[in-house]
Amino acid sequence: MRTPGRHDGDEAELIERSRKGDSEAFGVLVERYQRRVVGVALAVVHNQDDAIELAQETFVRAYENLSKFESRSSFSTWLYRIAANLAIDFWRREGRHVVLHGEDAETEIGKLPTTTGDSFKEVSRSELSARLKQALEELTPEHRAVILLREVEGMSYDEISDVLQCPRGTVMSRLHYARTHLRNILKDLGGN
Amino acid sequence: MMLGAFEDSELEPNEMQEVAYHLARCESCTGVLADYSTLGRDLRSITEAPSLAGFSNAVIARIDRLPQPVLTRIERFFRRQLESVGTGFAWGSAVVAAAVVTIVLMTPYAEQLANRGAMPTIVASSNHNVAPAPAPAQMADAATSEPTMADNDSHADISRLESENHSVAVWSEPRRDTTVIWLPDQP
Repeated sequence: MRTPGRHDGDEAELIERSRKGDSEAFGVLVERYQRRVVGVALAVVHNQDDAIELAQETFVRAYENLSKFESRSSFSTWLYRIAANLAIDFWRREGRHVVLHGEDAETEIGKLPTTTGDSFKEVSRSELSARLKQALEELTPEHRAVILLREVEGMSYDEISDVLQCPRGTVMSRLHYARTHLRNILKDLGGN
Repeated sequence: MMLGAFEDSELEPNEMQEVAYHLARCESCTGVLADYSTLGRDLRSITEAPSLAGFSNAVIARIDRLPQPVLTRIERFFRRQLESVGTGFAWGSAVVAAAVVTIVLMTPYAEQLANRGAMPTIVASSNHNVAPAPAPAQMADAATSEPTMADNDSHADISRLESENHSVAVWSEPRRDTTVIWLPDQP
């Protein structure tokens, strides 16, 4: 799945220098991946301040564990995985969010109202935006992460599978659930 | 589930074809697909990219504050030592090279200076193998003048002529470490 990128050569050198304690070299890697690491954390915790804090923690953990990094997977995937794990742990530890559906919530899909058509037209943008944010909060971090990694970060199913360490089929089912859930909530809003 | 994967272009080619064929005939699924597409746009529009100003500096500052493991500290100590030894070696080499160059360049002059101070070997000789002696009058003039070329064969510089006796000529050839004493043939 992994294809050599144009950064691979100098990235290997930067990683090696970072392993020897060269924080300047590690700074280059931070600059290179900071935006997407924050994006991964944000996809899970859905709060910018928490996401930035978690992203910083991700890089610190990565630096401390560089000796354990093996080049079998890409450095970026390894980073995103650390970020996702930290963010999911953080979200569970904080416990300040309401989870309406559990890990196997796919079965809940059948209970949701089903309507068809372009149902988002009637809702004002601000109302839709507020409701969408709220609907995202109602998802589990795993479901929210999958849909935001796909829709906002533009990751492929395989990349999401690598980062969240779950099978591709699970990515597909979580994504299906998240989409159906959000769509139906927004439809309800449109109906009201 | 297939519709979402179709929207994301994550199906196999034959599956993509099947879904496309179905969508051409199913209004309901076409509506769902349109909603998915709109949902994606809405999600992107509500997600604000946070400012990352100072982010990397904050990370590096945190890293610099980390306590270093003992092994890392030992490794860094030895690396620093190695670097300083390397620097010292480079300076030492430069000094030695400069000294060698100086010696090579200065040696001829030093040799000349040393020869001037050294006692010449005294060689007593007849007129055989030496330049013809200057006439006594000429020798008197030469004793007070600058050294001149005397021995064409050896190209020796005569640094001085010294003799109290007008029938005997004595001169020095510093280049050959030689002092020549010339005695006239006996009648």
